[in-house]
Amino acid sequence: MHVRIDGECHEGVAIKVTDVDGRELVRAIRGEEASPSVDCPAPGPVHGHVAILPPRAFDRRGALAATARALGHESATRAALEDARAELASLSMPAVDVRAARRRVAETGSEEERLRERVAELRGRLRARHETGADTTAVEAQLDEATRRLSEAETERIAAEQALDRAERAAREARDRRERRLELEDRIANREREVRYDLAAAVWEQFRSAVHAVPGSATVGPTPGEFDGDPATAALAVARLAPLEAPVVVDGLDRVSGADAAATLLDAPVIYTR
Amino acid sequence: MLLVVIYSRDARTTLRNVCRSHESTVVRQLGRAALFEETELGAFLALRLRAKHGGDVQIERTSPLNEFESVPESVREAATAYEDREAATTPYDKFATGTDHPQPDAMRDADL
Repeated sequence: MHVRIDGECHEGVAIKVTDVDGRELVRAIRGEEASPSVDCPAPGPVHGHVAILPPRAFDRRGALAATARALGHESATRAALEDARAELASLSMPAVDVRAARRRVAETGSEEERLRERVAELRGRLRARHETGADTTAVEAQLDEATRRLSEAETERIAAEQALDRAERAAREARDRRERRLELEDRIANREREVRYDLAAAVWEQFRSAVHAVPGSATVGPTPGEFDGDPATAALAVARLAPLEAPVVVDGLDRVSGADAAATLLDAPVIYTR
Repeated sequence: MLLVVIYSRDARTTLRNVCRSHESTVVRQLGRAALFEETELGAFLALRLRAKHGGDVQIERTSPLNEFESVPESVREAATAYEDREAATTPYDKFATGTDHPQPDAMRDADL
């Protein structure tokens, strides 16, 4: 591993640097930043959990699962998980959009209502004109026009209702597919939990020993998940347990003194910074 | 009442949150479905879900069924008679054959 900072070059499996931000180093290890430059093997999945110690937050089960995978363990549930994922991926989702059809029914309905009132009003006016003997020609023409438009609006409303019925039926069928998707998503989440549990269980004993070997106070029970301690201790144990090729950044962790001690403790390349 | 049915994980989370914070408007929550009061607030909550989750939210307007008003007597009687049948294993279509009770196909095609 080579680390280059401000023209200064460091080499080895345990490198100590000063006045460098640990997060910057992690980004450099991931190849996301050119300076400082860290020339090292590409970080694997476990590295994501223990790239910097102490970690800000630590997903213990996730880290143990990644470690177990890196050590060659697999869960018996994996095939079922993959089947469910494959089925979900192959599930196409038909659109359920009845909004336009609903709006059209509402609009045609209110237009029809408006015209119905208009026709009633014109009929009343026509009757009044008949009674007083006034000229009815203009009102008759208006009434004819309104009646014609009312009949069109009725036709339009019926067509809109039929279209809405069809859209609702299609939406109901499409929801069966969504129902299936939801089932699969739930199943996948359950299987993922099982896989994580299985994997964590596969390395739990090794994790227990690692916790005892690293500095920090934590109690680990015999069954997976029984852990009472700080995240830094758990992360140190995982880093010690996991095969790591990319360097771990140890940033201001008082309980480890120096780069060499850290590299020995974790059995991994270390960049130690203060 | 307004029946809201959910078809995705995200929408289910939103429904749960809505139900938790609007207990007075939520008449019932049944897993992935809920009944809201038929008020403007009920409609607002339902539409909010639909605005957020689109086709993953189904909204239906429900009302209690008065069988004496909207279900034909023949159907009501058939249901009662079938529940009183002697052999629990008799399927309904066999039970109805040779009686005055309506056949499933006839009922299937008849809207209420």
